[in-house]
Amino acid sequence: MRPVRRSWSLELSRFITQLAFPLACLLAFCTASYAQEEVDYARDVQPLLAKRCYSCHGPGDVESGLHIDTREGALAEADSGMAAIVPGEPDESEMLRRVLSTDDFERMPPEGKPLKSEEVALLRQWISEGAKWKKHWAFEKPEPQTPPEVQHPELVANPIDNFVLKRLETNGLQPNPRADRRTLIRRAYYDLTGLPPTYDEIEAFAADDSPQAYENLVDRLLASPQYGERWGRHWLDLVRFAETNSFERDGDKPDAWKYRDYVIRSFNDDKPYDQFLIEQLAGDEIPNPTPESIIATGYYRLGVWDDEPADPLQHEFDHYDDLVNTTGKAMLGLTINCARCHDHKIDPIPQTDYYEMVAFMRDVAPYGTRGDISNSRREITSPEVRKRHDEADEKIGRLQGELDEIYRQVVDKLPEGERNEARNPKKRRELEKRIGEFLPEQSKLYEELRQELRTARTEQEKLPQRQFAMAINKALNPPPETRLMMRGNPHVPGDEVKLGFPDIFEAPEPVIIPPAGGKTSGRRLALAKWIASDDNMLTSRVMANRLWQHHFGRGIVASTDNFGQLGSQPTHPKLLDWLAEQFVASGWSMKQLHKLIMMSNTYQMSSAGSEPALAKDPANNLLWRHDMRRLSAEEIYDSLLVANGSLNDKMFGPSYYPKVSDEVKAGQSQPGAGWHDSSEEERNRRAIYIFVKRSLIPPMLANYDFPETDALCPERFATTQPAQALGMLNGDFLNEQAKEFGDLLRKEAPGDLRQQIVLSLEKGLGRDATEADIQAGEDLIAKLKENHTLSDDRALDLYCLMVLNLNEFIFID
Amino acid sequence: MAHNNPPHGDFCGRTRREFLWETGGKFTGLALTAMLAKDGFMANQAQASEGEKTFQNPLAAKAPHFPAKAKNVIFLFMYGGPSHVDTFDYKPDLYPLDGKTIPVKTKGRGGAKSEGRVVGPKWKFKPYGESGQMVSDLFPHLGSCVDDIAFLKSMTAESPIHGSAMLNMNSGRILSGFPCMGSWVNYGLGSVNENLPGHVVMLDPTGGPISGAKNWSSGFMPATYQGSIFRSKGAPIIDLKPPQGITREMQRDILDTLKDSNDRHLASRVDNSDLAARIASYELAYKMQESAPEAVDFADETEDTIKLYGMDDPQTEEFGRRCLMARRLVQRGVRFVQLYSGGHHNDANWDAHGDLVKNHTYHAGRTDKPIAGLLKDLKRTGLLDDTLVIWGGEFGRQPTAEYAEGTGRDHNSYGFTMWMAGGGIKGGTTVGATDELGAEAVERPLKVKDMHATVLHQLGLDPNHLSYFYSGLDQKLTGVEHVEPIHEII
Repeated sequence: MRPVRRSWSLELSRFITQLAFPLACLLAFCTASYAQEEVDYARDVQPLLAKRCYSCHGPGDVESGLHIDTREGALAEADSGMAAIVPGEPDESEMLRRVLSTDDFERMPPEGKPLKSEEVALLRQWISEGAKWKKHWAFEKPEPQTPPEVQHPELVANPIDNFVLKRLETNGLQPNPRADRRTLIRRAYYDLTGLPPTYDEIEAFAADDSPQAYENLVDRLLASPQYGERWGRHWLDLVRFAETNSFERDGDKPDAWKYRDYVIRSFNDDKPYDQFLIEQLAGDEIPNPTPESIIATGYYRLGVWDDEPADPLQHEFDHYDDLVNTTGKAMLGLTINCARCHDHKIDPIPQTDYYEMVAFMRDVAPYGTRGDISNSRREITSPEVRKRHDEADEKIGRLQGELDEIYRQVVDKLPEGERNEARNPKKRRELEKRIGEFLPEQSKLYEELRQELRTARTEQEKLPQRQFAMAINKALNPPPETRLMMRGNPHVPGDEVKLGFPDIFEAPEPVIIPPAGGKTSGRRLALAKWIASDDNMLTSRVMANRLWQHHFGRGIVASTDNFGQLGSQPTHPKLLDWLAEQFVASGWSMKQLHKLIMMSNTYQMSSAGSEPALAKDPANNLLWRHDMRRLSAEEIYDSLLVANGSLNDKMFGPSYYPKVSDEVKAGQSQPGAGWHDSSEEERNRRAIYIFVKRSLIPPMLANYDFPETDALCPERFATTQPAQALGMLNGDFLNEQAKEFGDLLRKEAPGDLRQQIVLSLEKGLGRDATEADIQAGEDLIAKLKENHTLSDDRALDLYCLMVLNLNEFIFID
Repeated sequence: MAHNNPPHGDFCGRTRREFLWETGGKFTGLALTAMLAKDGFMANQAQASEGEKTFQNPLAAKAPHFPAKAKNVIFLFMYGGPSHVDTFDYKPDLYPLDGKTIPVKTKGRGGAKSEGRVVGPKWKFKPYGESGQMVSDLFPHLGSCVDDIAFLKSMTAESPIHGSAMLNMNSGRILSGFPCMGSWVNYGLGSVNENLPGHVVMLDPTGGPISGAKNWSSGFMPATYQGSIFRSKGAPIIDLKPPQGITREMQRDILDTLKDSNDRHLASRVDNSDLAARIASYELAYKMQESAPEAVDFADETEDTIKLYGMDDPQTEEFGRRCLMARRLVQRGVRFVQLYSGGHHNDANWDAHGDLVKNHTYHAGRTDKPIAGLLKDLKRTGLLDDTLVIWGGEFGRQPTAEYAEGTGRDHNSYGFTMWMAGGGIKGGTTVGATDELGAEAVERPLKVKDMHATVLHQLGLDPNHLSYFYSGLDQKLTGVEHVEPIHEII
């Protein structure tokens, strides 16, 4: 920096011209961002500094004696003899002068485009307001929140509404009225179970004028087994659930489905969320592990695995990266993974934090080595069954030993030259028939022993089978040392790291208590208990936000896996903290949180548009209405099976394989490999039971944004693309479902076209047909028959196909 | 009601970045708006004029960062890894070493070795064209095109194993889950023909490459950008053809009823443009059913063209057909077309572990004339100016034998050859070199990301700025570090 002082008049003229425009911008943006008046360092300023300044004046970089990542550094005198920032004095602040400079040698930053005028205005305002450094909201512990007073308490059903209504009132907006009963029951059904209500259920609810009707509905749905199948799938998205390994062979992960079932059961049982996390992270280290808690550790085994890695060490650390990435984002809402190669560029997460997280999970070796997955396969047979198997094994071994002993005596009697051959099983069977020739006195005993052995084997076959889980097995104890890898390169180890929780939590040192039995180190249990503790400032907020996300289509923090400084700002920060508090206070009950959310008026609002509200808040950030949503891939799939009455509601067990056309299989290196046939009965099960093969996601799911399975998916896309329309019009699956639908209508209303159309909408859309609907259906069927000479049946099937393609079928209000 | 607002009603309709833009505070909002504008997102978000809402095609054409040399890419992927010393990388010193065991560092499927028995190149080389570049007798037809070709003779890959090396070549990473180059190109530029997919993959009849669809996946980007498989026989796109017995007219009647019903549903929900978009997408699908088969119908191609691609010869007919399809697709504005030579496993592709001569004679024999035909056809139609053609496998092959017997070569990611032509690439040039054995790149070693950077650059996209926000990071095809295109060939 060259300390050059310009004349005062020059300064002033620049000041005036530079200031006029930014102020206008700033004003405009104040309204757009809903009355957030003061500049917030963490939200507004720090990201800008990080992006444009830190590469030379940031953590670890002190060019020209200046670093502005701390207040101390920014206020200190730099090599130029001047301070970059003088709080309250923007015109005394060298930084502002330099970013405004029109001299190429002077202007900061030296690379890239100059700062935009609105960015400069921000800095100016921030410095004017005293250049306050503040922690990012998510890195402060949530404070107890009192629901705010509102002008219209009659619109409040529970405290959620206070928070939402307050913001609406401040911004001059009115909440939408309650949705009608028929809309509400469909919304509640899909949100909680992923399935539509039947026509009769809808009508009964619409007719039920008890004040408890809605609450009863919510309770009933929360208690239904289908709840776990819907909400379990949200969790599976987060933990990158799949049943194969990806890479060249994309081989199966045996027993992965048991993890899926564990998740569904946990949701259905309303397992406390803290326990749910602890089981997945340390189900083998908790006191008295159960088969379920062992299956839960399959969490560590769901990632991709290369059985033939080009660089095994790199692959090993990619495996740890997958664990840090998933755990950080899914459970803590933190991108700790960004600190693998260097300190996090935006959040205060040093590289050591990353490797400390690795150290907690360092005893989890990768999934396997080629041909050996014993690391990940663990026996979970019940003790009594196992005992009986052990006894049977012992008995069989003893009998076999006694037989062998007699046989050995036989062999000894053979001529030298024949003894070797006697080891051959075929030869042995032959000789066994002649025991009497060699050992007449033992011949009877031998036969008795053989009989006993046969019986013992048959008995063992009758025992319940041994059970295995995809889980943590053979955890490394003691865990290998963990070193910080320079630039993230595992071939360049740096200093050893100790165990510790990420700095931003300011948590006490971890206390590691090795579990009884001495098989594991206890590190993961310490990590699990810390993540799942009541006072972890992120865990409860992150999960409360996810529940909100799946009820409203987006989280209060939209970037549900990133609560850091590059994530989204919460639209309702106090509400989020309040929800998190309720969540913990309920003993981490997800079902209670669902109910709390669903009993609010906020959840029950209609989705109708309103002109003044659309003009003010088109994105509905303030929640003046409920957002419509497109159904997910699984919801569409399941709804098709519900409409035509073919859904098989069998729960749990190994996954099934839907039919996949040869064209799709042609994309595999060995077309058809690893894809099997399932019975029609199996194929009619819900989509959550479809086998998740990483390299072959069936188009019916892939087209509707089934997540990429190799890393966690915090929010799914909801794309609209012609491939969806092609599949829905021309694909085998849809045409088969349409025919099935036609068959059902023909069966229930034989020969009565009008009634068939009425039924099609009752079953497909859950509502009465209007005259226009009936007319449209009759016209189409008439055209298909008259103009295209189709049979009655074929015409009805195609009409059914049309119904299944309706927007109303795919979107809910 | 005119309001300049994003059309979607819920988060899932948007990328996280779009969402950030809407929900962000003052600065975040501004910064991201700028980024979005650069990436062309704002154009997608712009609302149509009041009343009538149109399909907001995420693949709508977008302006490049700077004037482009190329508009389209045809990537001829020689799956399995062709041997460079037997094709384009002439190593005269290697012939006399045939059968001798020499110290040489190699790493392949069979692990790392420090010595091996040399397999001398099995074909003669000769100079072609004005540039006099050397090409082996495996590619007599391609030889005649060398003045349009720039050879990259010092390519290196991050892995000598098929699965990860394939991902490296396609997506820049050896891990799966990242978008491939074709997805990046469509994300950056969109497609100028909205009746066809912008990113097309054509597979070998024996099957896909290892890891299948991972190679044309859009990774963490929306499925909109993933590759669509085009088949060279029958209906080119999955589910393009209506089921047996359904005519186009019937389908029209069904779609008309569908649209009327959807319009009635829309009437009270006009502010939700997702509904309108879905209505429009059915019309687009209907149009695609006509335009996609047309794109692959050769009825209007001359006899001469058919012959140029070798489609009159059973040996070259299949690959020639796909090359001609590729030309027709780029002609119609498809941005990125990838063709696989070889599929499945072992000798069904260029992976010559056993009998090198048999393997390469077969695969070169199937592709030499069609590829030369493609380059010549692109040139005579003027398309070569806008179309960047890339040739190469996921790695090359070692100078030494893999087994005690035979001519098979193991994988070599330390040095191999790729080439580019058209789209502003300087023909008749060569960059980089391997050592005298062809074992390792020694002069101007090039990484896969250098090749990727060059492709993006020729398309008018700055590889250091074409980014997609995911996992807390502005992800780029070429990774975190600054990259430059290969200046010698542009």
